[in-house]
Amino acid sequence: MTADESREDIHAYLAAFDDIPGTTVFTVARARQGYWINQFAMSLIKPENRARWKADEKAYMDEWPLTAEHKAAIQARDYNCLINMGGNIYFLAKIISTDGQNFLHAVSTMTGMSVEAYQAMMLAGGRAPDGVRSIKEGT
Amino acid sequence: MARITAGVGTSHVPAIGAAIDLGKTQEPYWQPVLAGYDWSRNWIRQEKPDVVILVYNDHATAFDMRIIPTFAIGCAESFKPADEGWGPRPVPMVQGHPDLAWHIAQSCILDEFDMTIINEMDVDHGLTVPLSLLFGQPDAWPVKVIPLAVNVVTYPPPSGNRCWMLGEAIRRAVESFPGDLKVQIWGTGGMSHQLQGPRAGLINAAWDNRFLDMMSQDSQRLRAIPHIEYLRETGTEGIEMVMWLIMRGALGPDVRQLHRHYHVPASNTAVGHLVLEPVR
Repeated sequence: MTADESREDIHAYLAAFDDIPGTTVFTVARARQGYWINQFAMSLIKPENRARWKADEKAYMDEWPLTAEHKAAIQARDYNCLINMGGNIYFLAKIISTDGQNFLHAVSTMTGMSVEAYQAMMLAGGRAPDGVRSIKEGT
Repeated sequence: MARITAGVGTSHVPAIGAAIDLGKTQEPYWQPVLAGYDWSRNWIRQEKPDVVILVYNDHATAFDMRIIPTFAIGCAESFKPADEGWGPRPVPMVQGHPDLAWHIAQSCILDEFDMTIINEMDVDHGLTVPLSLLFGQPDAWPVKVIPLAVNVVTYPPPSGNRCWMLGEAIRRAVESFPGDLKVQIWGTGGMSHQLQGPRAGLINAAWDNRFLDMMSQDSQRLRAIPHIEYLRETGTEGIEMVMWLIMRGALGPDVRQLHRHYHVPASNTAVGHLVLEPVR
């Protein structure tokens, strides 16, 4: 295969991502939008920052260029909302580990299922792809 | 001459690392995940590779949003297991192979792959969990490791075809290294998983198994899989599977499958594992 054959049209490439149900793809547009959410979350990788954050979440967030909306979603641990504002799960995972929360539990909060129901679904083989591949095609 | 003697594909789920570190591997939940690696642990003890080129992705650990290299090769003497937010894993320091790593870097750049050279980097679960799966809990890792970090977090990641071609370039680099080294290449990550949004928990065992088939049977179809197919069929984080194609490309046109394992679930993820050897 040559480079020309495999080259994709950038607009069609990006548009296809919006056709996947219940899914947000971390495009450069979202990376720009969520830059400070992600950099703030990343800072919790350092133990001294985790300690300061735990001591006073509001004061710690005030050190970052975050909007009131960002701060409210962070305080509520509303991961769907944070992802819609450009957060990325691997960065947000730093908040989850600092909370000492089980990662599977944190993921389940984004699905509208109880953690027990989500865990049972995973044990039974996970969420089937049928019906959640494409909004347009309904497949 | 140095040569690539085998390829390993494996998931690198962080919860597996935690299960190993906390001594939970015999629990009913983890036992079937780990049992699929018994064969490989025996095999690698006999194979005794000198170096593993370990293809993985950094999960917002060494790289934050300031710097996003597509292909980054670790050329340092050693790499420290990272603190990912809950303290570092209790695993040995990772010893690099700077001579071979710098050689691969320069050879790939001449081969038109614009590598980022990293001389200081902590390594996260993406790199250390595969080492634990293959080597258990030794006091020191029995191989030198060359970390090769691929961006699969910020879109677009490299295409599967580009990954394949990088694998081919790595093979040319290894074979032009003066020195008799037994080198393995590991591709890690995947299989199906989606860690975000209402569709989280997606698992597509049928697709994953076709991917495992294609690794030894239909390389032309494999390298042409577009990003959107990984995303729709295997979840947002299923895209990590493009990293297996760097391993596969490095093995040459034909391979023999020596071992295969597939299990659902480990936490939110489908676990896949392959051992392949090149057919010359």
